[in-house]
Formats: sequence, structure tokens, C-alpha cells
Amino acid sequence: MFLFNYRYRLKCIFKDKQLMFWTFLFPILLATLFNLAFSNLSSADNFLKVNVAVVQNQELDQNPSFIQAIDGADDLFIVKYTTQADADALLKDNQIDGYIVFDSDLNLVVNQSGLNQTIIREFLDDFVQSSATIVTVISQNPAALNNGMLTGISSRTEYLTAVSASHSNPDPIVNYFYALIAMTCLYGGFLGVKEVVAIQADLSAVGARINLAPTNKLTVFISSMLAATTIQLLELLILLTFLTGVLGISFGDQLGYIALTCMVGSLTGVTFGACLGSIIKKGEGLKIGILIGSTMTMSFLAGMMSADMKYIVMTKAPILGYLNPANLITDSFYALYYYNTHTQFFTDILLLCGFIIAFSSITYFVLRRQKYASL
Amino acid sequence: MQVYKAFFKVIQKNRGQILIYLVVFMVLALLLSSTYNPPQDTDFTKVKVNIAFINNDGDSQLVDGLKIYLGENANLVDVPDDTQKLQDALFFRQVEYILRVPAGFTEAMLSGQDVQLEKTTVPDSTSNIYMDLLINKYLNTVKTYTTYLPGLNQTDLNQYLKTDLAKQSEVTMISNGTHSAYAEKSGYYFNFLSYSTFAILILGVCSVMLVFNDTDLKRRNLCSPIRSTNMNFQMILGNVSFAVLTWLVLISASFVMYGSFMFTATGLLLLLNSFVFTLAALSISYLIGNLVKSRGAMSAVANVFALGTSFISGVFVPQALLGANVLTIASFTPTYWYVKANNEITAAVNFNADNLQSIFTSMILVLAFGVAVLGVTLVLIKQRRVEA
Repeated sequence: MFLFNYRYRLKCIFKDKQLMFWTFLFPILLATLFNLAFSNLSSADNFLKVNVAVVQNQELDQNPSFIQAIDGADDLFIVKYTTQADADALLKDNQIDGYIVFDSDLNLVVNQSGLNQTIIREFLDDFVQSSATIVTVISQNPAALNNGMLTGISSRTEYLTAVSASHSNPDPIVNYFYALIAMTCLYGGFLGVKEVVAIQADLSAVGARINLAPTNKLTVFISSMLAATTIQLLELLILLTFLTGVLGISFGDQLGYIALTCMVGSLTGVTFGACLGSIIKKGEGLKIGILIGSTMTMSFLAGMMSADMKYIVMTKAPILGYLNPANLITDSFYALYYYNTHTQFFTDILLLCGFIIAFSSITYFVLRRQKYASL
Repeated sequence: MQVYKAFFKVIQKNRGQILIYLVVFMVLALLLSSTYNPPQDTDFTKVKVNIAFINNDGDSQLVDGLKIYLGENANLVDVPDDTQKLQDALFFRQVEYILRVPAGFTEAMLSGQDVQLEKTTVPDSTSNIYMDLLINKYLNTVKTYTTYLPGLNQTDLNQYLKTDLAKQSEVTMISNGTHSAYAEKSGYYFNFLSYSTFAILILGVCSVMLVFNDTDLKRRNLCSPIRSTNMNFQMILGNVSFAVLTWLVLISASFVMYGSFMFTATGLLLLLNSFVFTLAALSISYLIGNLVKSRGAMSAVANVFALGTSFISGVFVPQALLGANVLTIASFTPTYWYVKANNEITAAVNFNADNLQSIFTSMILVLAFGVAVLGVTLVLIKQRRVEA
């Protein structure tokens, strides 16, 4: 009976085109769209050399040290030497971020306040400030000039050593995909709802027929739920393969733990749907409506629409994060990808298991021993 | 006008789904209006990077001086010194640079020994380069003083640093004219409007078409004593009035939020652009309405179409940040041209022949999409009737 029902439930689910669209094709489609839209987002922060023009005039020629300094900063700037008129035209076309005019003082001309402009400004300030330092030192200790101070000041010491935050790149884009997986897991709730409807005598004709059969309802239900979980897990694995293989999203390399998260996530989704399906007595439309509404709200709080949302919840209301299955699934993937330890990961997984147990017990107590005076 | 009335009766029956999209749009429109936009300065302002400053050394004037200096040139964000909290803050860009002053830093620095500070950054980012410049400059200045003025005490050192580093170069800002603070916000609003317009029109028109295209019902209607021209006219009127109504409802919030700005040239162009887009969206919805066979497929198509075109055309992520390939694909959808025109309208400080030409070209393209799709639909309907 167990295998018989399992096989037929698999067939029923596979043949439900609408269900397969929402639980399987829709997440893949959304992932593709995310990838198309976000692929340039993280490289937008990357440093590109700042385009800057220097206006050629007499003052400039009298300050070779400045020319030397700016030519030496070729890791920062792409320098063009132009006339004033050309510099204006370049700036207007946004070909350069700003231009430098040397007329008695250093003068920077820009057309907006941005980080690139700030970098040019900082470079010029640095030049002015170093000169001030030299003057101060010489006025206090004239001998310094003979001790190689000028060469000392132009050879800068590097005081900073980079320490990476984690073995993985801090790329907030991946969180969108993790939240999308969480959404897919909870969309497994559609399958849960379907199974509950199919086994309750007052919700479907099939349910009425099954209740008449001389077999243990729990056995039948468990095999139905297993069928739903099997399909959900399969869909999730295909999505994961698609994300890593086709879209190139990184999940870290702890395959075993990733599989565990998928397993637990699928179960959470399916039992969540079953729980909703059994508590809400009204029509299927309402069940689906509440399922979509709650899934979307939870995915939103897990950062599917804006990654900042996850951080806000994490820092301002951590409890909300722990009570949100979508966030727990997202957070498991995030912890695996980014953290050096597994404490957070196991906390998430344990909490998810708690949710699975809670959802299952509620479903169990609602479904068992129901009797109908009439149908 | 039975057909016209029936059209809106069907819409009424399906208002639930449509209202969801309307509510989502209104909520987002409200969120948009509440986000703070700093007024556009005509003076140059430095960009301040968010950084975390962690001191593992004891308190000293040198460290304080550095912290104060960084506080003036960057935003110091308070993040607890905990590995995961720091990792989180960097991942979600709450800070872009974490500076850690090691123990024994002051002593090593003052005695001229080699010392290294730890930085944790977003690799290869512009903010990383900028902060490196600032911090290295500060410490190199300290080095110059300690090397050439040995025996300088920390108070004097801080004083010298403060005076030197307060020197600044001149910055002239060439402004391109002032921009209304509303221009950018209303741009987001109208870009987002395309998503809702599409979703609502597809759902509305499809639900009506599903009813009217039902074979039995269609046969019954064809033998009714109303001429088919009259019936078609009422259908067209129904579709157009539904589209105009949707447009009016969706733009209404812009008048509440931006007020008289909507009556300036920028505002009026945005309204015109969105109206043209609504017509094109109606035409596409009409085609979809004639292709879709079931209610399940209807919501799937509405979602896929509205989300898909919006994502690749720059509704959710600005066009400037999309890849060239994506934009090429997107240019085969009206949404791309609609968003492009919106961006140009809101970016323009004043309107001249150049930018107006570009804006109107986009609008005409959107309209052309509408006309072309309508042509296809009419051929399709004609063929179907012959088959039936």
C-alpha cells in the first residue's frame, strides 16, 4: 500500500502542470532574471583608474614636483595634459571625472560630487599637506633638509596589510539567490497542500475514497508526504545545479552540508504547506493565497527583494530572523558560504528541524480521527 | 451597451488578483516617497566611506588623532568587535572598510619601527583605494615628524598633524543647473509603474477574454441580434477604458506625492510617456488574452511577462548597471524604450531639440510595438473565426 500510494502520488504531482510551473520552472526563471539583472552589480564597486586632465600652463611648468607626483600615481589616474577649453569639453562629456588647474594654487574642477572626484581631491590635498609638513619640519629643524628629508617624504611607507574577512568573497548578490532557494523550499508548500487536500474526505473525492479504504491513514499520508518531498528535493537539486552550473553562483564547497540544507529545507516547505492546508478549513484558493502571501513576506524578510533587509533583521530584530523559516534556510547557505565556523549553520538547521517537527505534529493532530456526519 | 457592461462585470469578479498588484504598487510608491534624498549640492562635498575602526592598542593621543581624522573624512560605524558581526557588516556593505590598530602600535610608530595595521575590505573596490590613501598619508606624515623631529611629544605631534592636514586644495563645481529633488524619485516611480501596468492589464484583459473566447459562449454571442461591428466596438471601448482607468489609478499617487511637480515639463512628459506605454501594454495584453487558454496559465503568463520584461529592461535595477547583452535583448520589449525615455526625461535639466528628439523616438517605438502587436492579434482573431 505504501509503495503503491507513493508511486501514484508521484504521478499525480508530475502531471499537475500548474503546480510544476510554480514550484519548478518559476524559481528557475526568477534565478535567470536575477542573474541577468544583478551580474554587473557587484563589479560596479570595482576600482577603475580615475580619468583626470591637467591643464597645461606656465604655473604647471614651474612646478615639476607636481608633474612628477601625478605621473608617479599611475596606479590611480589616467592623466591627460590638455588646454583649458579641451578640459572643459571633456568634463562636459563626462570623459574625465575632473581636471586640475594650477593657478598660483591647486584647483580642481568637477561637475559632481562622487568617490572618484573625492580621490582626485585627496591626491591634491595630500600634495598641499605634504608641502605644509615640509615647511613645518624645516622651520623646526633646518638640518632635516640635509638629512634626505625630501627623498624620504616622496618614498612612502605602506602601513596596511589586507586581511580577508573570510575564505569567500563578501558578495551580497549571492544572498538574493540563497533567499530564492528559500522561497523555492517554501513553495514546496504547494505540494503539502495538495497532499492534505487529497487525503481529507471533506476536501476532495479522492480523499473520501482513501478514507474508506481498509488501511491505516497515517501510513497513506506518510507515503504521500514522502512522494511530495521526493519531488521537492528533486526540483531543488535541479535548481541548485542550474545555479552553480549555468549561472555560476558560488555556494562554497561543503557539498555534504549543502545537501543536508536542501533536505531539511524541502521537508520544512512540504510540512509547512501540509500544516497550512490542514488548519485552514476554507477553500483551496484561500490556502494557496495564504501560502503565497506568507512565503513572499518571509522571503522578503530574508532579503530576496533587498539584501539589506536581511541585515536589518539580523541586527535590529534577531528573534524575527530565527522565527522565519525562509531566513533560516537563507542563513544556512550564507553561513556555509561565508562563515569560518559551523555554529551558526547548525543553529539554523536545528531550528529548522524544530519547525518541521512543529508543523508535522500540528498536521497530525488536526488530521487524525476525523469523522464526518455527512459529506 | 450590454457587451461593455459585461466586460466590467468580469473585471469586477476578478478584482482580487488585480487589487494585489495595485496594493503592492502603492506600498512601494509610499516607500519611495519616504526614502530620504539629500538635496543636490551646488558645492563639492566629499564622499564619506562607511568604515569600522577597531583599536587593539591602548588609548593614546596618536590613535585618538587618527580616529578623529578618519571620523572627519569617513563615517565611523559602530560594529562590535566580533568576527561574525564584522563579517556580516562587510558582506551587506554596512561598512566597506575595517581598520584594526594592532597592540603596541603607538610605541612602534613613535620609535620609528615598522608597524602594520590590518585592513579588511571589499577587494578591488574604489572605497578600498581611497581609504588606503587617507590612512597611509596620515601615518606617513607621522613618520616624517618622528624621523626629523625626534623627541616630539604626542600633543605637539597631534597639533602639527591637525594643522597640516587641515590644508585643502580648491574645488570648483561646474553645475549643470539645478535639478528638482523630485525628478529622480518620480523617475523610479514611473519606471516601477510599468511593472504594475503590465501585470494589471494582462490579468484584467485575459480574464475577460477567457470568458468571451469560450467556444460555446462565442457561438451564442455570434447569433445574438447585435451586429458584430457593434459588439467589437464595445469590446474595444471596454479594453481602452479599462486601460485608461488603470493608468489613472496608477498615476494618481504621483500627484499626491509630487504635487505641482507633475505639471512641469518633466512631469507632463512622464505622464505622456506612461500613457503611451499603457496603450502598448494593452495591445500586448490583448494578444496574450487571445492566446491563453486557462486561468492558471493566465497568472503564470502575467507574472513571467511582467517580471521578465521589468528585470531585463531596467525597472528594478537601473539600465546603467545592466550588461550590454541584456539590454540588447531588452530592446525588443516596449518596457526598455519606456524606461529609457523616463530616464532621459528625469535626467534632463532643460529640454532642447536633442534630448526631446531622443525621448519622442522612444515613445514612437513604444507605440509602434503596440500597433504591430495589435496587427498580429487581429490577423490571429480573423484566422480563428474562419476555423471556428
